[in-house]
Amino acid sequence: MGCCCTKQRVDQKDPAVLASQTYFNLSEIEALYDLFKKLSSSIIDDGVISKEEFQLGLFGSSEKRSLFADRVFELFDSKNNGVIEFGEFVQALSVFHPAAPQTQKADFAFRLYDICQRGFIQRHEVREMILALLNESNLVLSHEIIEVIIDKTFEEADSKGDGRIDPEEWQEFVARNPSLLLRNMTIPYLKDLTTQFHSFKLTSGIEDCTSRSSTSPEKDNILELKDNFNGVSIN
Amino acid sequence: MKKVRRKIGKYEVGRTIGEGTFAKVKFARNSETGESVAIKVMAKTTILQHRMVEQIKREISIMKIVRHPNIVRLHEVLASQTKIYIILEFVMGGELYDKIVQLGKLSENESRHYFQQLIDAVDHCHRKGVYHRDLKPENLLLDAYGNLKVSDFGLSALTKQGADLLHTTCGTPNYVAPEVLSNRGYDGAAADVWSCGVILYVLMAGYLPFEEADLPTLYRRINAAEFVCPFWFSADTKSFIQKILDPNPKTRVKIEEIRKDPWFKKNYFPVKLGEDEQVNLDDVRAVFDDIEDQYVSERSEITEGGPLIMNAFEMIALSQGLNLSPLFDRHQDYVKRQTRFVSRKPAKVIISSIEAVAESMGLKVHSRNYKVRLEGVSANRVGQFAVVLEVFEVAPSLFMVDVRKATGDTFDYHKFYKNFCGKLGNIIWRPAGTMPNSNLRKQMTL
Repeated sequence: MGCCCTKQRVDQKDPAVLASQTYFNLSEIEALYDLFKKLSSSIIDDGVISKEEFQLGLFGSSEKRSLFADRVFELFDSKNNGVIEFGEFVQALSVFHPAAPQTQKADFAFRLYDICQRGFIQRHEVREMILALLNESNLVLSHEIIEVIIDKTFEEADSKGDGRIDPEEWQEFVARNPSLLLRNMTIPYLKDLTTQFHSFKLTSGIEDCTSRSSTSPEKDNILELKDNFNGVSIN
Repeated sequence: MKKVRRKIGKYEVGRTIGEGTFAKVKFARNSETGESVAIKVMAKTTILQHRMVEQIKREISIMKIVRHPNIVRLHEVLASQTKIYIILEFVMGGELYDKIVQLGKLSENESRHYFQQLIDAVDHCHRKGVYHRDLKPENLLLDAYGNLKVSDFGLSALTKQGADLLHTTCGTPNYVAPEVLSNRGYDGAAADVWSCGVILYVLMAGYLPFEEADLPTLYRRINAAEFVCPFWFSADTKSFIQKILDPNPKTRVKIEEIRKDPWFKKNYFPVKLGEDEQVNLDDVRAVFDDIEDQYVSERSEITEGGPLIMNAFEMIALSQGLNLSPLFDRHQDYVKRQTRFVSRKPAKVIISSIEAVAESMGLKVHSRNYKVRLEGVSANRVGQFAVVLEVFEVAPSLFMVDVRKATGDTFDYHKFYKNFCGKLGNIIWRPAGTMPNSNLRKQMTL
C-alpha cells in the first residue's frame, strides 16, 4: 500500500517545482494532493480526474452537465488529453488563489468565455452563455431582451468597435468592473488550505472544526502531515 | 378586413424572408417596374450603438461597385427617420446549400458549372480589391434559371448568425483557411480561394472535408489540410482540389492558375460582362452622412441610486458551473442553493415587496443598496437560517433578483423559496404561456 502511494507520487510533478511555479507553498500542495486524490478516486481510482468526477465534485452528480463546467474542465486540462492530472490541477487552481493578480484572473476568465478558442469573444458566444445561464435557472427571456443585454455589454467592452472583444479590450473592461466580473475567480479556501486540511477528513455531519494554531517549527508540521497521510493510506 | 399596403419609396413591402443579428430581409416589389427585390432593413440605433457607420458605408459602397451577373446586385440605399433600407436583387431559386441537402451531392459536371461561376464572381471582385471572407454554400443563391449568385459580398459582417444553445460552432470554421484561423495577417484572395475549394468538395462529396466534434481537432486538421477525397472523385478532380486546399497560402493555386487548369476549362463559357457603369454613390453618402449627425446628438441618461446594472458577463458569472467552491467546502450541500427570478416592476417596488413578504413570514429584514438579508429560525427550530437577495438591472425596466442561501439547511431553504415566491407572485415576471406553478415545481425537482 505504501509502495503504491509512493509510485503514484513519482508520476506526478515534483511538489517543489509546483510550489515555485504557483502561489501555493509546499504544505499547501500536500493538502491539495489529498483533495486531488479524493476527486480522482471518486468514481475510478486511476490517479486522474475525469469529466464525470469533476462534475461529481462540483454538483454532487456525475451526470449533471453545464456549458460552464465543461469550459472550466477544458482549461484545467492544459494537456488537452481529457483528464486532469495533479500538476494541471495545481497550476490551474493557482489562478484562483487570493494572491494571484487580477490580470491573471482576468486572462483565465477571458479564455473561459472564448468558447470557440479563437482568441477573442464574439456575440454568439455571449448569447450561448446567457442562454445556458437562463436555462440553468429555469428563466426565459425573449430574443430581443437578450440582444439588448448583449448590445449594452459590447458597447462597454468592445472599445475598438469591431464587433468582438480581444484580450486587450477585456483587460480594460475588467479593470473597470472587477468585483462582479471576477466574482468566481477567487476561492477564499485556498488561502487557508493547511488549517482547512484537517476538515477534509471530517464527516459532513460535523458543522464546525477547530483549526489548530500551531507555533511549532515547519519541520514538525511536515512530519505531522506525513503522519496524517500514512494514516489515510492505511485506511 | 382592409389590408394595409406598406410602401418604402416606390417599393411595396411583403413578407419577411430572412433575419440576422443586425437586419431583417423583406420581400418587396418595385411598383414602377414590377421587379422583385429584397430589402434589408436595419435600425439606425443599432448601427450607431455598434459604431458600424463607417463599416456599413464602406461595405455598401463596395457592393455597388462590384456589378457582375453572378453576384447579387445592390440597387440603392434609402433611409427613413429611424431605419436604413438596402435594396437588393431578389434571387428566386433559393440557396445552393438546400440543393445539396436535397440531392446529397451533385455530379462532377454540375459541380464544375457552379464552381466556374463562383470563380468568375470571386475573380471579378478580387480585381477590384474586394474580398468576401465568408464564402460558404449558404451565401450562394440560385436564380430562376439556375445560375449562381454570390450574396453578401462585402456584407458578411452584417449577416453573421448567432449560434443557438445546442451548438458551439463559430459560424463556419469549416470553410475558413488555415491562415485565417491562426489569426495571422492574411491575404484575402488566397483565403477566398481556399473557401472555394471547400465549397467544390462539398458540392461533389455531399459533406465537409473538415468536420470534427471538437474544435482543437478540427483546427489541427484544417491547418494540416488533412482530408480524404471520396472514391467517386476522379483522379483529375482529386488533383485539382488538392492544389486549392494547400495549407500554405504562398504555394496555394491562384485564380489565374485555376482558370488555366484543364479540369476548370471543361465546358467553360466565359460570362459576358456589361461595360463598367459609372457608379453613383450619392445615395449612400446622403443616408450615412445624415446618420452621423444623429450620432453626435445622442445623450445617455445617468440614473442615480439605482441597482447595479449587470452586463452579460456579470450574469454569466452567476452560473453554478463557474463556482468551484464546492470542490473545497466539505459541508456544501449539493442541492441547488442558488435561485433567481426576473421582474418587470420598478426596483424600489421589488425591494418593498420583498420586505413586506419577509416580515409577514416572521423574518428579520436588513436592506441596503438593493441588497436584502433575511434571517429567521429554521422550520425544525434547531438552527438559524439566512437568505440574501440582490437586485440587478439587466435590461431597461428588467431586473434579475438573485436569491442565495447564506446559512441553514438546504431543504429549509427550498421550502422557504417556494413559499416566498408564491407570496411574491405579483412582482415575478413570467413570459406568456408559462404556468406559474410548473416553474417552482420544476426548480424543486432539479
